[in-house]
Amino acid sequence: MARRSGCGWVLLLVSVLWLIPGSVSAQERLNAAVAANFIQAFTEISQAFERKTGVKVEATFASTGSLYGQIANGAPYDLFLSADEDRPGHLNREGAGERPFVYARGRCVLWSARKDFCRARDWRTALRGDEVKRVAIANPETAPYGTAARTALVQTGLWEALKQKWVFAQNIAQAFQYASTSATEAGFCAYSSVMSDEGKKGCFYRIEEAPAIVQSACILKRTPHRASAEAFAAFLASPEADAIKARYGYR
Amino acid sequence: MDWQPFYVTLKLAVATTGLLIVLAAPLAYFLAYARFPGKSLIEALVNLPLALPPTVIGFYLVVFMGPKGAAGRVWEAVTGGSLLFTFLGIVVASTLYSLPFAVQPLKAAFQKIDRRLMESAYILGLSRKATFLRVIIPNSVSGIAAAAILVFLHCMGAFGVLLMVGGSLPGETKVASIAIYEAVEAMKYREAGLMSLCFIPISYAFLLLVNRLNRGA
Amino acid sequence: MSLQIRVRKKLRYFEIDLDFSCPDDHLLVMIGPSGGGKTTLIRMVAGLETPDAGRIAYRGETWFDSERGVDLPPQKRRLGYVFQEYTLFPHLSLYDNAAFAAADRAEVDDLFARFGIDHLRGRKPHQVSGGERQRCALCQALARRPRLLLLDEPFSALDVVTRRCLREAVKGLREGLSCPILYVTHDINEALFLADEMVPIVEGRIDRGWMQRTIAPIPDSEEAPLRATRQPRLALVY
Repeated sequence: MARRSGCGWVLLLVSVLWLIPGSVSAQERLNAAVAANFIQAFTEISQAFERKTGVKVEATFASTGSLYGQIANGAPYDLFLSADEDRPGHLNREGAGERPFVYARGRCVLWSARKDFCRARDWRTALRGDEVKRVAIANPETAPYGTAARTALVQTGLWEALKQKWVFAQNIAQAFQYASTSATEAGFCAYSSVMSDEGKKGCFYRIEEAPAIVQSACILKRTPHRASAEAFAAFLASPEADAIKARYGYR
Repeated sequence: MDWQPFYVTLKLAVATTGLLIVLAAPLAYFLAYARFPGKSLIEALVNLPLALPPTVIGFYLVVFMGPKGAAGRVWEAVTGGSLLFTFLGIVVASTLYSLPFAVQPLKAAFQKIDRRLMESAYILGLSRKATFLRVIIPNSVSGIAAAAILVFLHCMGAFGVLLMVGGSLPGETKVASIAIYEAVEAMKYREAGLMSLCFIPISYAFLLLVNRLNRGA
Repeated sequence: MSLQIRVRKKLRYFEIDLDFSCPDDHLLVMIGPSGGGKTTLIRMVAGLETPDAGRIAYRGETWFDSERGVDLPPQKRRLGYVFQEYTLFPHLSLYDNAAFAAADRAEVDDLFARFGIDHLRGRKPHQVSGGERQRCALCQALARRPRLLLLDEPFSALDVVTRRCLREAVKGLREGLSCPILYVTHDINEALFLADEMVPIVEGRIDRGWMQRTIAPIPDSEEAPLRATRQPRLALVY
């Protein structure tokens, strides 16, 4: 007898848990696919947006390439904040995304967890040092920050010359992780990551030769929350959002 | 299609399998026959990689093998080089990751051997070690083969761990699974598709072999 | 007395408490109901199990002494042991099995001839019959020139006819062997046929009255015959 009623309780509990999420939150929710480098700025911006409008924006942070892959296969996001211009452009041409708009311009820097890394004359000299054995760079084929870094390295002739030092991370966040855990002596990271608490523990060089990374976003056509999505897109361009972005090094 | 990642994958699988069978055999022997308090704790520890997400394993390995970690520092002191982002580093990582896949089948194979065979060997004058090498191993050959194949296959599929620990260096740590992932990310879908297709017949063939060996045992 | 055994061991349902000895050239049969501790005793003599207390010595050499902390491993005792099954190594041929720890390989050929399995030397254990396997096991044990031969119900798993043949073989063995033989069985007929001396073990203890109770004595005998000689005074129950 006890056993049967025990089973009954379990079933009741499971069905309650199953039903709750759908019914309790009447609050509207947006799902955004966001490039990994924009994580801190995005968190603040979405919190400000929620305070203003009551609409919660939940984000999935990953490399632009994998997010694009998911969206191309029908993942149910409302917005896509990419780290490049190409992918939102693709989505628009394929008919999956609305017209893209630029939401931020990022810069690539060379960061190290060791402060004495930055005592050299410039970033090129620092890289050439013998004590710098490994340098993390996000995969240039798939991560826009990696592409920018490679452009700078090719331009200065270091890409081939220091080939044995490069370690490829899957995305800019992993590149930063390698550098901050000292798995590598330095890493090409997003300017925004050096502004973080972890980033402040180290030092960095600006890389003038690396082109600015133009980050585009787009609303996805299949979104059921078009009004809220457009409101958020507008908010991204507002002065309040700009101020937050500036604090993380985006222009 | 670039065949280099497959070459790295196969090299990794062969190296890990060889290393693991040698390392796991005494451990499996210990777990199969020895009786002591705390044995279940060790067994759970050995099985931990089964329960942990590969990225967790990878994360801790990066810390452990990195220049600040215990293993990394020892390695640096002894050889002057780094353990991370090298072929040896991913061999270590995939060995730990596949450990339970070697220990469990070996333990099962050893346990199937009747105790009296071992006792017969002792009475005839063989030490425990000699009994292990001359009696237990020859009589668990199909179990050993099954363990080897499982480890081999599991290695071929290793992804999350190697993603964290490998650094994706072409020709050294960029295995096929990572190459496929990167091809998808770079929108090179045809290449990704071709590489994925190649995996299936290889894995399937080995699985058939495992089946055969298990039935023959 | 060559082999001296005095052991105590606590088992699950009773305690083994035995004290007896076996002279050289004797075939001593341990008989009694199943689960009585006979196998445990023989394993303790072999060194495969450890008594809680006591002393086991052979010709003055101490194999086990709880007071002095001596416990010689089976490898060093140089015995022969034939189990009921799983004595032979499955991955080796019969010849390789017998020659495994042989003192002299030539003797293996002799033994094979004596036990009539020479024509099977190249076969593996699973390719021959149970009786042939046990013959090979005997060869394997004897090839080592053991100081003591232990047989634990070696023929219990075989059919009646094979058992009879092998019994005769063991009896014949007795003639040429100079070491003591400890033989465990629960088959009375086998015991009576082979024994120079019988030790009835019931629940871990020697029970001299067991024989009396299990086999009807000839009316005019007063004491329970403990030594079954070649002309036993008991009614044979073949």
